[in-house]
Amino acid sequence: MWNIHEHPGLLYVIATLLPLASFVILLLIGALRNAARPYGGNGFGATLYWLFGGDQPVRIGAYVATGAIALSFILSATGLVWFLNDKGVGHHHDEVQTSGTETETKPAGHQHGHSHEADHKWADHVTWARVGMLETDVRPAVELNLGYYIDHLAAVMFTMVTFVAMLIHLFSAGYMSEELHQTVEDHQVHTEDGHLRRKGRYSRFFMYLSLFCFSMLNLIIADNLFQVFISWELVGVCSYLLIGFYYERQSASNAANKAFITNRVGDAGFILGLMLVWSFIGTFNFQEMFQRVRAPHMDSHGTAMPEGTADRIIRGDVHDEKGRQVFHPSSDGSQVLLFPDHVHAEELKEGPEPGTTIDDWGVMPYILLTIAGLGIFTGCVGKSAQFPLQVWLPDAMEGPTPVSALIHAATMVAAGVYLVGRVFPLFTPEALLVIAYVGAITLFVAATIAIVMNDIKKVLAYSTVSQLGYMMLGLGVGGWVAGLFHLFTHAFFKALLFLGSGSVIYGCHHEQDMRKMGGLLKKMPITGYTMLVGVLAIAGTPLFSGWYSKDAIIAQALGFASVNRQHLLLLILPLATAGITCFYMFRMWFLTFLGKPKDDHVHEHAHESPWLMTIPLILLAAFSFFVAWGAPPWDAEASFLGKLLHSSQPGAVSADFKSVEELLEEAGGWVHPTAGLLALLAAIMGALIAALVYYYRLFDPAETKEQFASLYRLFDRKWYFDEVYSAALVRPALVVSHWARNFDARVIDWIIDNTARTVVWISKLDGKIDNGIVDGLVNVTANAFYFIGTRLRRIQTGYIRNYVLFLVLAAIGIFALLSYFWGWASAQN
Amino acid sequence: MNDISLQAFLLLGALLFVCGAVCMATKRNAIGILMGVELVLNGANVNFVAFSYYNPTFRVEGQIFALFVIVMAAAEAAIGLAIVLNFYNNHTSVDVDTAEELKG
Amino acid sequence: MSFFTALFYIAAALTGLSAIMVVVTQNIVRAAAWLLFTLAGTAGVYFLLAADFIGAAQLIVYVGGTLVLVVFGVMLTAQGPFVNLRTSIGEWAFSLIVGCGLYATLAISVLTTTWPSLGNEPEVNPATSPTTAQLGQALLGVPQATPEANMTGIASADHERRRMGYLLPFEIVSVHLLVVLIGAAYLARAKRRRGAPA
Repeated sequence: MWNIHEHPGLLYVIATLLPLASFVILLLIGALRNAARPYGGNGFGATLYWLFGGDQPVRIGAYVATGAIALSFILSATGLVWFLNDKGVGHHHDEVQTSGTETETKPAGHQHGHSHEADHKWADHVTWARVGMLETDVRPAVELNLGYYIDHLAAVMFTMVTFVAMLIHLFSAGYMSEELHQTVEDHQVHTEDGHLRRKGRYSRFFMYLSLFCFSMLNLIIADNLFQVFISWELVGVCSYLLIGFYYERQSASNAANKAFITNRVGDAGFILGLMLVWSFIGTFNFQEMFQRVRAPHMDSHGTAMPEGTADRIIRGDVHDEKGRQVFHPSSDGSQVLLFPDHVHAEELKEGPEPGTTIDDWGVMPYILLTIAGLGIFTGCVGKSAQFPLQVWLPDAMEGPTPVSALIHAATMVAAGVYLVGRVFPLFTPEALLVIAYVGAITLFVAATIAIVMNDIKKVLAYSTVSQLGYMMLGLGVGGWVAGLFHLFTHAFFKALLFLGSGSVIYGCHHEQDMRKMGGLLKKMPITGYTMLVGVLAIAGTPLFSGWYSKDAIIAQALGFASVNRQHLLLLILPLATAGITCFYMFRMWFLTFLGKPKDDHVHEHAHESPWLMTIPLILLAAFSFFVAWGAPPWDAEASFLGKLLHSSQPGAVSADFKSVEELLEEAGGWVHPTAGLLALLAAIMGALIAALVYYYRLFDPAETKEQFASLYRLFDRKWYFDEVYSAALVRPALVVSHWARNFDARVIDWIIDNTARTVVWISKLDGKIDNGIVDGLVNVTANAFYFIGTRLRRIQTGYIRNYVLFLVLAAIGIFALLSYFWGWASAQN
Repeated sequence: MNDISLQAFLLLGALLFVCGAVCMATKRNAIGILMGVELVLNGANVNFVAFSYYNPTFRVEGQIFALFVIVMAAAEAAIGLAIVLNFYNNHTSVDVDTAEELKG
Repeated sequence: MSFFTALFYIAAALTGLSAIMVVVTQNIVRAAAWLLFTLAGTAGVYFLLAADFIGAAQLIVYVGGTLVLVVFGVMLTAQGPFVNLRTSIGEWAFSLIVGCGLYATLAISVLTTTWPSLGNEPEVNPATSPTTAQLGQALLGVPQATPEANMTGIASADHERRRMGYLLPFEIVSVHLLVVLIGAAYLARAKRRRGAPA
């Protein structure tokens, strides 16, 4: 079973477990080192401690963690090559196969039934826990599995994450070198005697980073929703640990809490979705879930299913007819047909025939399927910082910059988008529309805020939120490939931009305010030019990676909007935001690298970062440039990465967005060129305005600010989200807790106090009763007996004659009694 | 032959018996107590003999019992006197009040 | 009033009064003397009741033996003339009350009981039918000496009537007497008085 040739998917498993191993090793080393810390004197313990580096933080954490993630990357790259050799690139549905992807051997995607065994090469699982009965056919046990499922999406995503994470590890090894000192002075934490001094936490950082990577990789290869959920929570914990890395800082601590709590809100929805899926669909395995929900292509006998049903969610109503549950399909039915393992096409010849019994089939309310999808999406909203849960991501900038890069590029926020892509077949059209609108609102709101931010990292943070909004929008309007495509390209250039900003911050001694920078291009040319590549990529400059993916999304939106005219907003917002994006990115770059130095102190001390940090920048810049290229590079639709992703696109996408897809794939279609042109125009406009304002100084930003004061305030206050949450959630919560506290203090304490008082009073009373009555009774009895005894003892005179008298008396008494009873007995007779 | 009834003898026996009992109850002299015992026994004897006279069935038995009681009385007197003498040896007195070991 | 009746009253008066005097008198020697009269009177009562042998035994054993023993006891334990062994008036009163109560009880019992032989006076004449020989034979176990009777002593034609001898009780009493005499001799043998010089 564990033969790597038969199960090449195990490569990915090993690659996933490597960061976990690194985490465990670092944890054990840390524990050992702490255990060996000598408290005076020397000896074996002291020697061991010295071997571990003594009080000096050591670089071993970086070596172990970076080594692990690098090995992971190598393994995953090997796996990717292997996988592409095995599966090829192209559409997986034979009937819709179009272009020249001759290497295709077998349908790779979500086929039903018999195609399952073949996939064991790239997918397998072990049973973790069984729930329910084991030996019955009525309702077999439901299993919780741990497993892996490798398709094109997972393979590429895995490789991308390991690659970006590896570069971020490398960068961190340089960036976090301050933590290598025996004492680190934290200038942002003020104590009574100046700044806080603490030990360096170099290895701890890498330990967290390793766990973070493991969680994310596990999430990617997971073959079931529950495993995803576990990783999901692990990712949340790691983000909490890393955002709060400088936990002595109040702001960092708050940001970590905010991130975690905000994610909890999303996770509540996720759990709701999990419960609905579990109770109605009965499995967490992705493939089985989709099999249940979406109509198969052919039935168990190999007969093709009726035209137009494949991959569709079949709605209808269940009626009770002569004691049998009968399903009547209709386009607006309240129930969804759940498909069993073995489907017979006869029963669905002309659509599910009226009167078809559904004894073996299942149904679930359509509204609940929508809610399940939306619940899972709520989890993604929290993780991917979508409207309205986007508030945590900018605050997460409190963590070290490489962490921001990791969160924004490869791990945390990507998880949400990735999951939406993964469970896409579960979403009903209504749920997808919600996703699209959430994405559209997010991308616009975040972009407007990014315009007015002065903190270089905050600008990037809001740009991330905005770009994530693009991805969600893309997925929501049926651009499954487009959305995930953007996730990939964005990962590269956002990692690049963040690492670049980290380099700037590092070079400027932790100065993050762009207004104090300027003219840094000469001081740090590598950083400057690589960041320019990132800016161009995010702006959607042709040939840069962002161009391909963003154009795909806008094209999809255009197609969707032209099919569904009422949703025109879904086109306007991303188009406008394309310009805004360009504007704020160039604003950032101009403010930072061009113009005159505004702060001499910062400028003088600025320096280029060491090679350990610039090499990742250069590599990422290269990737940001050409990662989306195809043959030829100028054909936006020929992108190799896009085709790769297209290979694992679920059939549900084409089924649900057939008209949009047809519109887009029309030979010589107008949609793509139009969308590209519009986006490019918007971008150029944004860039031009940015150049005019911040480079040529035609307008004074301050004046503009004055003219649009209210708008500025709206953006600067981040659309008042924090204030609204504070007023709507925090304040009421505080009020309620205040009430509760008062209730506690006044009522409950009063009750308890009085209860206690009553008990004391009762016990005093009881004591009195005990002492007075019970003891008294006993004493009185004893006294009475004593008294009687002392009286009676006088009878015992010891004189024989008295005894004789008593004898006589007794005799008289006996006589009297006898005579009395004799008389009584005689009277009876 | 005579017109004295059984009851008269029984009453005489009862008188002797009561006198004996009162004698035992009032005398502090040990020998007085012995005398009380003799009186009680005589009272009983009078009864026995009276019964033997007035009930032909008891003719012999009553007298035999009386005879036995006389013998017992003699034995009792002997033992009693021996006890009294011992008592006197121990207490240098025949006052039974000095023997109050049974006092409660 | 027949001669018998007169004799009875004389004997009864002698016996009862002497018995009362035994109780009343404080002098132990006088009490012994009154006791003599009581016993003698009792012997007279026995004779009246045709129990010639018992009366004789009473005189010989009691008056001649037991009383002498008592007098010996009095003499052996004689103390100074001023030794006061009187009991208190309260005790006297209480004893009297109790005694009267006892007498009343006994008298009531006697007078209210229906005696089986009442009104069936015996034919025996003490002068003509001595009982000594009959008693001797009875004690020797001769069945003919005892009247027929069933075991409970109540004549009944329905039950088997038997004659029984008294040889075994006689022997037991004899042995008893012997043991008592030996015991008395043992108890009464001279001992050193407590506290007195040897």
